[in-house]
Amino acid sequence: MKRYDLIVIGAGPSGLSAAAEAASKGLRTVVFDENERPGGQLFKQIHKFFGSKEHKAKVRGYNIGKQLLQEAADAGVDVVLNAPVEGLYPDHEVTVRIGDSLRHFKGDAVIAATGASENMAAFKGWTLPGVIGAGAAQTMMNLHGIKPGNKVVMLGSGNVGLVVSYQLLQAGVEVAAVVDALPHVGGYGVHAAKLARTGVPFYLSHTIVEAEGEDRVKGVTIAEIDNKFNFIPGTEKHFDADTICVAVGLSPMSQLLKMAECDVPDDPSKGGQAPRVGAFGETSVKGVFAAGDVSGIEEASSAMIEGRITGLAAAESLGFITKQELEAETAGLENQLASLRRGMFAPGNKGRKITETDEGIALSESLLTQGYVADDEIARFPGVTKQRGIHPVIECTQNIPCNPCQDACRKGCIRIGKDITSLPAVDTDSQCVGCGLCVAACSGQAVFLVDEDYEEGYASVTLPYEFLPLPETGARGTALDRSGAPVCEAEVVEIRTSPAFDHTNLLTMKVPADMAMTARFFRNQKTESEAC
Amino acid sequence: MLRITEHPILGAPEKGRRVEFTFDGRTMSGCEGEPVAAALKAEGVMIHRYTSKRHEPRGIFCAIGRCTDCVMVVDGVPNIRTCVTPLHEGMDVRTQYGVTDRKDFGEEAR
Repeated sequence: MKRYDLIVIGAGPSGLSAAAEAASKGLRTVVFDENERPGGQLFKQIHKFFGSKEHKAKVRGYNIGKQLLQEAADAGVDVVLNAPVEGLYPDHEVTVRIGDSLRHFKGDAVIAATGASENMAAFKGWTLPGVIGAGAAQTMMNLHGIKPGNKVVMLGSGNVGLVVSYQLLQAGVEVAAVVDALPHVGGYGVHAAKLARTGVPFYLSHTIVEAEGEDRVKGVTIAEIDNKFNFIPGTEKHFDADTICVAVGLSPMSQLLKMAECDVPDDPSKGGQAPRVGAFGETSVKGVFAAGDVSGIEEASSAMIEGRITGLAAAESLGFITKQELEAETAGLENQLASLRRGMFAPGNKGRKITETDEGIALSESLLTQGYVADDEIARFPGVTKQRGIHPVIECTQNIPCNPCQDACRKGCIRIGKDITSLPAVDTDSQCVGCGLCVAACSGQAVFLVDEDYEEGYASVTLPYEFLPLPETGARGTALDRSGAPVCEAEVVEIRTSPAFDHTNLLTMKVPADMAMTARFFRNQKTESEAC
Repeated sequence: MLRITEHPILGAPEKGRRVEFTFDGRTMSGCEGEPVAAALKAEGVMIHRYTSKRHEPRGIFCAIGRCTDCVMVVDGVPNIRTCVTPLHEGMDVRTQYGVTDRKDFGEEAR
């Protein structure tokens, strides 16, 4: 048997954060993880995160993972991989399978940071090869460089379904449809909008009738459902597809905590059976803590803060820091956590239908039901102004905890204010120089630069572009509107790439002047002919 | 072609050297160290096993070693989770029927 001050189970965002924090206070800390590589799901997250600077907003997930690994290594944390924890017993006894043997460890404190697993939806044909979890798609394309298929139907419009759909497009996979049984898009509107403008259709109040195929998925039939979840005959729609991705939520993996006899009640607001925890992640069993998704489904940014708080709490429980130090150090973290838990998508608002923003502006109904803000809705949001010369147009229409656009603008054109969830407002007397930093900084790809006086009869629209091949200056193609429908011819007049943009390219296209507030995506002529 | 050669965010995937392995006796190739399931996927193999009672096909589902849907007989050992087992040169990968690599698995019971 080997002893440690602290044993952390799981090397994902919360586990690594907890371990780094505890080790920095002098605890001899080990992290066990069943995977070959550390980082949990962080290294599959290739999008820019929301939040503020403190939450590492606008940094892509995998880069946050690299920073976190470095921090843990610098703090002297021992990370043991290929080491599934098989048992957590009273008195903090931990058994770990390493190679072909089962090893025995004891920690004065234990933090379970075991994360979550994907939920499944059962429909006819759901066991066919080709029906996969959305996380599986993400793992295959972003970790292993393999597309899960050529044409995908996504079931689920929560953030996982939306983000993975976009990543599928980035990997060169066609997304035939995003389908959700709920009547409105579950995830952030900005994530839906960046899909819709490329032409991905949304089918809300729909679900899968059948996955078709003898021994693998060949197609999918969906149909509309009524408010009792019964299919409405005659509403069936068929798609050819070789892959169905299921993104219908996550459940905490709390099995080890149950084994340790922690109180683990069923709590729908936490996504399933999650341990009852105090403010510092302490469970009902002394010395056993929980952090991250296992203690309630949220996202990586909050998991990392929870991990830090719990790591500090473990340090205090063993006398490495005083109660006063714990409270002083966690106060700032608690504030960061609180700011992430605000806005329309806060855990407390789960399942609630919200109709207007904190500013009292009616939400876009079209965004909620079709994935994009309609032309006649967009002008009422404070980021959307009409001005002479180039200026940002911020199509951010829901209160989400995120403010990098404000920090990006050196001219002070963009204002969110103290409250991180406020809608960004564009100064109507803007001093915009068209640097494009706000376009690249927006994790939701909701910022555009518009110049209605670009040329006689023409406007320019600058948009974030994260696909390959990157069109060249002079390329001609079609401009698509927010719904992904072709609206006019467009010519690429500038492509900007910069390390500061972190792989978000800025594509500026010239469109007829009356399309300045309509054209929001560029489709290359060449790619269109290739598709045929 | 399911292999990504150039990704807009990640660039060219970092992969191991090309190695050969066999799938049900057929020679295939993949990248050393990638999951066996990834190599099979790139070669177009979708069916990893057939269930023992109903003989239904199963393939990759979770891709993180949790669901066990993708298990196969690898180097003579059944129930190997191919999504978390790294590919090596000369690996012998076989479709799993029930818990063996014999197509007639369970026939005698019926």
